[in-house]
Amino acid sequence: MPVIGSVHVNRSGPVSRNAPITWQVGLTVLLLLMGGCIPTAQPPPTLNLKLYQQWELQPGDQISGRTILGGLGDISVDLNGGPVFAPFDGKTELDQRRCVIFSSLQVPAYLFRLCGLSSPRLGDLRQGEAIGTGQILQFATLRQQSNGTWAIVEPTKSILERTLKQP
Amino acid sequence: MENLPLANVMTKGLAIASSTLMAGVIFLELNGVPSFGFWKRTGEPCQEMVQAKTLISKQQLAQLLTLPVGTPQAKIREVLNQPYCKLANLQIRTGATAVREAYPLDFDSQNWLIVLSEGDQYAGYRISPR
Repeated sequence: MPVIGSVHVNRSGPVSRNAPITWQVGLTVLLLLMGGCIPTAQPPPTLNLKLYQQWELQPGDQISGRTILGGLGDISVDLNGGPVFAPFDGKTELDQRRCVIFSSLQVPAYLFRLCGLSSPRLGDLRQGEAIGTGQILQFATLRQQSNGTWAIVEPTKSILERTLKQP
Repeated sequence: MENLPLANVMTKGLAIASSTLMAGVIFLELNGVPSFGFWKRTGEPCQEMVQAKTLISKQQLAQLLTLPVGTPQAKIREVLNQPYCKLANLQIRTGATAVREAYPLDFDSQNWLIVLSEGDQYAGYRISPR
């Protein structure tokens, strides 16, 4: 029995006797079915980065009804509503804690995590394009480890400058 | 028996639909209109030329993928030989200078391999637009 269901099978009886189904009909049905597979406005999938450090508290955790904004390794920056910028040509995605993960093909082995941005821009960005704005930015630099995890490391001032100031 | 023609029709339809879809995707990619990948980018310029004839094969790339983070730079050299050029050094984390070397690919002229090392140790790679 065809996967498409009994409704189509029931119709195929009389049709096949009196007016055989042509391949055009099959194609039309398939295209209509495939149309349902085209992504619409669904939110993009989030990243699930495995951190090297097994710290108990992470940004986004809830303690007594309060949200943890940053943890060990995050650099807190008073943005006061101001923007942050892509430090290189790259791409922004969200992680499971709704922080922005910035990656660049020009900078192997590193990722940058930006928490605290409101309505961040996701997708491909050129260096200097705004990622988003916020009141307080929690900035973390992640370096790839040999076991596939990402370790939070101390960023240099120059990386923070590239992120906070348009070139 | 009556279901057989329908199955044939569906199979033919699926094949035609798939071909049409793929042809459409290839057409759009080649013509630069809505791209399903990264937008067209230009790579970073070289800061220092090293070996203009360098080309990396798929076999060399496959070998690189087997090397773990922290592999000595000398071992990377054994696999990849001399780089085509060096890109600008970066200061990403305190106490380390990120050295980036670029290697053109003999199977993909649009992209190249960027290898990042710190303190004479391999840290990672990316395939990036040239």
